[in-house]
Amino acid sequence: MQQDAMAREGQSGKPTARFRQGSAIRQLWETNLEVFQRDKMALFGLLIFAVFALVAILAPQIAPNDPLNPLKNNNGDWIKDAMPYWLAEPGEDEAEGYTNTFLLGTTNIGRDIYSQLIHGSRSALLVGFSAAAAVAVIGTVIGLLAGYYGGWVDTILMRAADVAFGIPFIPFIIVISAFFDPSIWNVVIAMALLLWRDTGRVIRSQVLVIKEQAFVSAARVSGASDLRIIFVYIAPSILPLSFLYGSFAIAWAILTEASVSFLGFSDPETISWGYMLQDAFNSLALSREAFYWIVPPGLCIMLTVMAGFFIGRGYEEVLFPRLRRM
Amino acid sequence: MTILSIRDLSVNYATQDGTVQAVDGVSLDLEEGQRLGLIGESGCGKTTLLKAIVQVLPRNGRIAGGKILFKGMDLLQLPAAEMRQLRWREIATIPQASMDSLNPVQRVGSQLTKLLRVRGGYSKKAALKRAADLFDLVGLDTERLTHYPHEFSGGMKQRAVIAMALALEPSLLIADEPVTALDVIVQHQILEVLRELEQELNLTVMLITHDISVVAQVCDSVSVMYAGRIVEQAAAEPFFSSPAHPYSLGLQQAFPNLARPRDVLVSIEGYPPDLREPPSGCRFAERCPFVQEACHDIDPKLEAIGDGRAAACLRSNEMDVLRVQSEDPSLWQRVEVAQGLSLAEDGQPPPKSPPIAMKGDLDAPLPATISAETPPSPSQWGEVDDAPLLELQNVSKRFKIGGGLAGLLRGDKEQTVYAVNNISFSLKRGESLGLAGESGCGKSTTGKLLVKLIDASDGEIIFDGADLAGMDDDSLLTFRSRVQLMFQNPFEALNPRFTLYRSLTEPLIIHGWKDENKRLDRVIETLDRVNLRPAEVFLDKYPHQLSGGQLQRVVLARALVLHPDFLVADEPVSMLDVSVRAGILNTTRRLARELGLATVYISHDLSLLQYTCDRIAIMYLGEIVEIGPSDQVINNPQHPYTKALIAAVPVPDPTIENPPLRIQEGIPRPTEQFIGCPFAQRCPDAMEACLTVRPPQITDENEHTAQCHLYGEHRDSPKLERQLP
Amino acid sequence: MNRGVVYYILGRFLQSVMVLWIIVTLLFLLFRLAPSNPLASYIDINFTKQQEAALLARFGLDKPLGEQYLIYLLNLLKLDLGETFSYSGKSVMDILRADLPNTIYLTLSSLLLAYAVGVLGGIAMAALRGSAIERIGTTFTLMTRAAPQFWVGMLLLTFFAFQLKLLPSSGIAPAVVRYRWETEWDKLLSPVFWRHMILPTFTLALYLHGLPLLLMRSNMLEVLDQDYVTMSRLAGYSEWRVMIQTAARNAMLPVLTALTLGIGYSIGGNVVIEHVFSWPGLGRTLVRAVQQADYPLAQGAFFFIALIIVFMNFIADILYSLLDPRVGASAQAQVS
Repeated sequence: MQQDAMAREGQSGKPTARFRQGSAIRQLWETNLEVFQRDKMALFGLLIFAVFALVAILAPQIAPNDPLNPLKNNNGDWIKDAMPYWLAEPGEDEAEGYTNTFLLGTTNIGRDIYSQLIHGSRSALLVGFSAAAAVAVIGTVIGLLAGYYGGWVDTILMRAADVAFGIPFIPFIIVISAFFDPSIWNVVIAMALLLWRDTGRVIRSQVLVIKEQAFVSAARVSGASDLRIIFVYIAPSILPLSFLYGSFAIAWAILTEASVSFLGFSDPETISWGYMLQDAFNSLALSREAFYWIVPPGLCIMLTVMAGFFIGRGYEEVLFPRLRRM
Repeated sequence: MTILSIRDLSVNYATQDGTVQAVDGVSLDLEEGQRLGLIGESGCGKTTLLKAIVQVLPRNGRIAGGKILFKGMDLLQLPAAEMRQLRWREIATIPQASMDSLNPVQRVGSQLTKLLRVRGGYSKKAALKRAADLFDLVGLDTERLTHYPHEFSGGMKQRAVIAMALALEPSLLIADEPVTALDVIVQHQILEVLRELEQELNLTVMLITHDISVVAQVCDSVSVMYAGRIVEQAAAEPFFSSPAHPYSLGLQQAFPNLARPRDVLVSIEGYPPDLREPPSGCRFAERCPFVQEACHDIDPKLEAIGDGRAAACLRSNEMDVLRVQSEDPSLWQRVEVAQGLSLAEDGQPPPKSPPIAMKGDLDAPLPATISAETPPSPSQWGEVDDAPLLELQNVSKRFKIGGGLAGLLRGDKEQTVYAVNNISFSLKRGESLGLAGESGCGKSTTGKLLVKLIDASDGEIIFDGADLAGMDDDSLLTFRSRVQLMFQNPFEALNPRFTLYRSLTEPLIIHGWKDENKRLDRVIETLDRVNLRPAEVFLDKYPHQLSGGQLQRVVLARALVLHPDFLVADEPVSMLDVSVRAGILNTTRRLARELGLATVYISHDLSLLQYTCDRIAIMYLGEIVEIGPSDQVINNPQHPYTKALIAAVPVPDPTIENPPLRIQEGIPRPTEQFIGCPFAQRCPDAMEACLTVRPPQITDENEHTAQCHLYGEHRDSPKLERQLP
Repeated sequence: MNRGVVYYILGRFLQSVMVLWIIVTLLFLLFRLAPSNPLASYIDINFTKQQEAALLARFGLDKPLGEQYLIYLLNLLKLDLGETFSYSGKSVMDILRADLPNTIYLTLSSLLLAYAVGVLGGIAMAALRGSAIERIGTTFTLMTRAAPQFWVGMLLLTFFAFQLKLLPSSGIAPAVVRYRWETEWDKLLSPVFWRHMILPTFTLALYLHGLPLLLMRSNMLEVLDQDYVTMSRLAGYSEWRVMIQTAARNAMLPVLTALTLGIGYSIGGNVVIEHVFSWPGLGRTLVRAVQQADYPLAQGAFFFIALIIVFMNFIADILYSLLDPRVGASAQAQVS
């Protein structure tokens, strides 16, 4: 009792919204704000995304070379396997007939690795955010419907989730990729088709909890319609949860896209970090110990994925304070 | 011999908003064989005191000073390892919420034997034997040793925890709220076990509770805690006959007493002080009806006042006079009158609705709730219209569990739960009816049926001439504006994401109030009615910024904002502190009269229903077994179940011995259908006819109806032979 | 075992069979209704109409769809997955039967390593909560989960196999060694095989340890808040007993379930690692089959992986109901 009272005390802060403006959207905005104000790591994750987004938008301006076209020396030959200029032996470039300005060297067919890295951010973010949005939206809608209406709606949707849980994820994407023309959208579609299952289940169980709470019954006794209850009472409480799963889904989508590209099921005309690593792997960069080619794309993947994790954990700490590192 | 001696103990909690002095200079002595009741409300520091004694304070807790001497050893100086050895061997603790204190994935028996072997050094065989003995001792079947906690009922879990606490023969037993959240009959049985064990084992007991009636039943001495301090210490008898601190006086007057019902229960208005910055004077001064100038400046010490009693009050020498004065309920209301007067003295009339608070004012601390009740006794209530507002005819509600495709796949057999079974009653305008019974008796389901949160499976519910079953959307919306529900837990009844204004304005929006200014006016008017004043201050608060009592007033305001005709209050005060309960009940009663509301109160607490209701209905396994005028049902119960319920209610008076409880344990599953009387299995007076024939409803000249064979044509049926506890 | 539990298991089993049936049906539709002709890679431009028809007949593709579906289901029941396109004369089952053990060895060894480290690490992180060690530890674990497995594999390969030349870079053994193995036992007893296992196992375990560690940590923190843990403190048990016997034991239950689920998902998810290390397992076969448009093989491998996942999901449910006495009982109450 004592602690309860104090826990309540501890939460009490100054009222932030004027009473006339306590709208659901504003509430949501405040929850989001709280996540990034409270959790510095989540803010850091947001910063990482912001930087990569900037790079992605400005890629053609920033990248010194075309990522796909091989670079040629004065003789018209491809500048194969050039080391980064800060690693290369001085004078080697002039002997080969070019000036080494390559931050990360070139590939075995003379493409500029640094420019590829910059362009790779585009597919990573595109896939990450669109897949995450799809997963979060589908999962939330299914979870809301199943949880709120129950009965046969619930049975059908949750059996569908069972089926989705039974389908192996990476193999599914590979098979999908095989039937459609290679494209980064395959990953998005496959993720949307399968990964709503986790979000859907969690949202559903949360809806079941909220639905039983007295304030929802109170709304019903006051004559609120189903739609009003779902959108005004339940949805604002579970949307932060959708954001949580959405942030994690960004991370999974980026990782998955990388894996699929690495396995060679991506569009060779679109540069992605996974594609770069596949290129390196297939052209035996490993045996040449070409760390300058292998390390940067992986680091970029790791950074963006971690950004998703950080933001997701920020939501977790606000939603489930028990996990909070005391 | 003094077993436990606490000297000047202070405990602090570090929180985000400052240091909370949860326990502040507490001294306490416990003699061998003494049974001390430590009384206090939530946040008074009683549980913190317990945690300090056994040294399991949470991480942010710190003992700021004082000594805890146990048999002469200073526990605070003891190395952690030695302290650990003392726990359970010397000082056993029954923690609060002990329902969840058993490990869910281990058999209860093995938890007990593990304790005996690891902590008591028993051999495997001896531990098994001792475990069986302990189960015997607390009245549990030894077959239960192999069961898991989830197979135990609440009362059985509590018995098991008591068995564990006694396993190592401790010299001191500290029990924190041992019967809270248990049904009244189970509560009675657990207290019985505790009382027997005390005598049998000559235990020294410290019982921590908010419930003075529990203390009256079990303890021989009393300490009262308020805001981190002990304000009164006395033996039980003088404490109950002549309390020596205004807070104790108030507590006793606030407590409903079945044996000696009061016309008006007192509400100690206001809330305990903020322990981050305790006041320099008396901590109770703000809420005290006998407050004087000096009380705000001088911090009273706990001082002996003769008869081995002690109280911390500047006016303790006048206590005999004050005690007589306190019997007058209007004295406790003077708090409110006084505050109203002080405004008038400034030459201004007491403003009903002060002008809308400016932004700066919104951060000001909330004012204490002000109450202006002159609660009439039920008989004085406004005119009672003879046409029933609400009528139930043979209403039943069945739930199906299991079955269906999902159930088939899970392998569940379909079962029917008979939650409400063939009940009929009617309610007039302005009338109040109480529904009582143990948990699972169907009283809450009935409440939900009345407000059409769920629909009846059978029978008719007629509200003001309209059948609830066949309503179209329009008439349903009208119905929704006329019927409201008040919830048990005020902390869950309001959307935590809504400001209070938003919560209160929602019903108005739903019912088409387009004009925002009108809505605001109505909301303010309603907040004013429920004594949340000035209303403007509350408008943009969030629920977590209010205390439980204030929140429950907001819940009441939301129920009344549409000016309904009918209100269902489901356990309206069970989550609240005793001192503020009466305030909520009095407000509800007054408003019901002002608005001509018909009210149904649902509660497990008969004394509370006796206080608030014109009529009481007793429910058992979905049926109404007895219904009639409140005083008739309480003072002249007919049905054996009603008699048992009344016998089980603890009385806050150690001189009144409860009549023995003659009832079998164990409520049958609600999935059974009975040919005869549903209560026959537990009934002390069961006859052969009870098992085979539906009992008749016998009504006397007071409209007092009981559904029992004892008064019908089968009254001479042979009695069933059975052993009674 | 009481009747409730038996019914529960039976019900869960039926449910798993239904899920598998739906997956199999989806698989059938996916492969039959795909935009490209399943035999496209097989059919030469020079084939005559008769040759094409013969080929269609050989794979049963000339029959109506409904009949194909029935034959397909019957064959699945007999575990007859048909003939491969690209490995002439070999049946799909032959290939998969050779692959499956390799995948299982890799999965089990890495999971055991990962869960041993994860559970102990999780307990330690919970005990050390708030300390610098905990912050560093959890950040490291998050990094291992964020880093693509194949990339970690590539880095380890470059370093240990190519730079230091300590460990082999691919496969399960050189061909000369492989030819001498006649049974699985020969393989398992061969040190060469285990040397080849080291890098892929370690890479996978590095990735997999994050889930049990983070799960164990948060479960521990949750359980430590429970009343029964407070109770065992009050009862004077030593801190070690409170942490390990009471808290860790209860916190372990969901982790064990995760392990069971993990077996299923890892078998399907090892694709990338098997590709990097050229590990002859189910995943690599699936990738190759898709690349070479060997539809029967791809379909068979996919079916096999799905079968294992559904089966492990079933086992996880059962395991949980046996480990946690509340589940069997609440499974009945839950429904309402």
